[in-house]
Amino acid sequence: MAKTITIDPVTRIEGHLEIEVTVDTVMGQKKVVAAKSAGTMFRGFEIILVGRDPRDAAQYTQRICGVCPVSHAMASTMNLDNAFGITPPDNGRLLRNLVLGANFIQSHLLHFYHLSVLDYIDTTGLLDQSPWTPRYVLEDMISGPLAAELVGHYVAALEMRRKAHQAGAIFGGKLPCTGSFVVGGLTEVPTAGKIADFRSLLNELRSFIDNVYVPDAQALGDAFPSYYSLGAGPGNLLSFGVFDQDAAGSTKLFPAGTYTDGAPGTLDPAEITEYVTYSWYTAASGGTNPADGVTEPDPDKAGAYTWLKAPRYLHKPHELGPLARMWISGEYTHGISAMDRIVARALETKKLADAMDGWLDQLVPDATAYQPSSIPVSGTGVGLTEAPRGALGHWMDIQDSKISRYQVVTPTAWNASPKDDLDQMGPVEEALLDVPVEDWDQPVEVLRVVHSFDPCLACAVHMVRPGDRTGGSRVLIRPGIA
Amino acid sequence: MNISRRDFLKAAAAATVAGKLTTSALAGLRDVLLAEDAPSVIWLQGAGCDGCAISFLNSIHYASADDVLLNTIDLDFQSNLQAAAGDLAVSAAEAAAAKPGYILIVEGAIPTGAGGEYCRLWPGMTMHQAVLQYSDNAAYIVALGACASYGGVSSGAPNPTEAKGVGEVLGADARLINLPGCPAHPDWLVGTLTYLLTAGHLPPLDEHRRPLEFYGERIHDNCFNRRLYCGEPVFADQLGGVGCLEFLGCKGKHTQADCPLRKWNSRGSGEYGVNWCIGARSPCLGCVNPNFPDGMSPFYEYLAPPPAANGSGEAGPAGEQHQLRVRRDMKAS
Repeated sequence: MAKTITIDPVTRIEGHLEIEVTVDTVMGQKKVVAAKSAGTMFRGFEIILVGRDPRDAAQYTQRICGVCPVSHAMASTMNLDNAFGITPPDNGRLLRNLVLGANFIQSHLLHFYHLSVLDYIDTTGLLDQSPWTPRYVLEDMISGPLAAELVGHYVAALEMRRKAHQAGAIFGGKLPCTGSFVVGGLTEVPTAGKIADFRSLLNELRSFIDNVYVPDAQALGDAFPSYYSLGAGPGNLLSFGVFDQDAAGSTKLFPAGTYTDGAPGTLDPAEITEYVTYSWYTAASGGTNPADGVTEPDPDKAGAYTWLKAPRYLHKPHELGPLARMWISGEYTHGISAMDRIVARALETKKLADAMDGWLDQLVPDATAYQPSSIPVSGTGVGLTEAPRGALGHWMDIQDSKISRYQVVTPTAWNASPKDDLDQMGPVEEALLDVPVEDWDQPVEVLRVVHSFDPCLACAVHMVRPGDRTGGSRVLIRPGIA
Repeated sequence: MNISRRDFLKAAAAATVAGKLTTSALAGLRDVLLAEDAPSVIWLQGAGCDGCAISFLNSIHYASADDVLLNTIDLDFQSNLQAAAGDLAVSAAEAAAAKPGYILIVEGAIPTGAGGEYCRLWPGMTMHQAVLQYSDNAAYIVALGACASYGGVSSGAPNPTEAKGVGEVLGADARLINLPGCPAHPDWLVGTLTYLLTAGHLPPLDEHRRPLEFYGERIHDNCFNRRLYCGEPVFADQLGGVGCLEFLGCKGKHTQADCPLRKWNSRGSGEYGVNWCIGARSPCLGCVNPNFPDGMSPFYEYLAPPPAANGSGEAGPAGEQHQLRVRRDMKAS
């Protein structure tokens, strides 16, 4: 007998998300046969930005997300650099990378320990107070000494993620939300003392990553091997690339690229198209690249059920995030699944933290990180980078020295997207198919798969145009059911 | 709830050095911390970015985040951290709200357009409904961050969702404390919670309902850039340059917050931050002001300061009487 379970609010994410799954018994096993997800909060950043001084964009867009503000600062300042025709000095590129890297480390530690691991541990006897109670307890959860060890690491990771933010703030001024990212580079100047302070914190972080985080992620995979075969999704991956290693951005620590239908490819941003077949927009709003995107709401459109468009590459759904980056760079080849996402995220953190040490060596103490520039009267810009959760793009038009259009396409918009015009599901919804659900009242398996994507909903729905629809910003993804 | 004697003494010593807690308040803190029932906290997040929650997790100066969570409060509902999801999470909020006397923390703005449906917390509960309902039994209401305090970036013109701060939604409310900032500094939250738990009443507030302890002094009056003066001001010629950033958009003359002294992202217990916005040579955005962000934008354009409150001279750099005041317990570097 099929049963529909609603999980609202999905907790231990960023933002507001509702997941609804239909569970049925198939060949003797209870599993998900249909799923839909809904983003339940909308603010309207693309409307708020119009008419403003372009330089302010790097500060406004950071407030899209308090977990990944530096990614928006990076995308926005790259966008502004592009529109203003300016290239930051090497110190600026390196400092931006270091602050962004520090926030990546913070975000990944937060995700594994504070957002994910409670799905896998029975904390009875270890954390017997709120917010860790009330809780779910499944038979397959880790208990005993390994659970106690992971809880100890959970507490230690609170300190480590705080230290990651300390490191980033040395050059960022403060975190979350850095004031020092500007068009033309970074306002702070690296001194020998600041470099040494950052390195000292980085060394502590690298020790934790190498000796605690990576082993814990691998131990989780050993304890839950079935999750290497669950939560796969479409199996296509995409990265815009991040952490420029040279001024032109021609080499990046994590290169841009794609992996489509089992074959690697070169990223061509012109092949990104957003579809609106199941979205509350006019037909004319769909089938376009974000650079040309038009958004005309049509809340009464027949068959539509969501405010999110469906970003696609080469007309196919693609997953974004650490697994995509590590796969495309050739560093991770084990597989594509919920557990592969978790392990790849940990390995990416190590690769990044190790590289950051080299970037510190490249800094020239006391040299400026900033190149001044002027606001153009008119122009366009684009900034493509990666947030911890995947590819992030900012597009902007300037007219009369003011922002006339600003578009942001975020990784969770791709990952949590609805069906497109060919009825192809988005990554999260496809990943939920066939996930077993042992206990209707404790849908922890569903949470494990959803959490593996590290969803950030403030990012996903921020750019939707408001309709007059009282249903608000509900995003429904209905795979495969009539 | 337990706190080790060692931890209590450490906290008490830090508080004494800061000159912020009297002897009787310290005794009260010990009583609270050794009490059987920890104070309940319900933390609602609306139209925001969760940055204030992330900022709270950076707390260390007064107490670490784990110290606050494990030893000081019962955080009965908070979506980023709680183990439960869905109905189980909602039941925790409902159970906590049934017992009067909790602290309600509100983060993010409250959209009121489209019947409140721009922000739904769970089925049948918009953020707007939740703030009205969950304020009923609260002993104190803390609006955390710029969005919850005054609307913040979420209410930036043209405010497409008709987003509002808690004060505008609830009207005059004697229980309300605003802790604006984008994000709010973790110390402002943890320090305020400590005050509420020990004193049993609101701290002294300014006319915007912000604690004077954290928002009582102008950024400009404590800014280290003024120490560069030997009679004549030194203005930075460009971002990243040395000197006062007033003509590059700094809103320090418009803004009251203790950032120059406390700084951001503290190194450890009792210590101050590694840097701050102006310390990183970028202008203050005025993020604690009721008119942030619209009234503080463009961020990189000069905004003439308000007339001097004591009438001591003309407004503006030409005639202003500077008076550099440094609090004895917090030395600007």
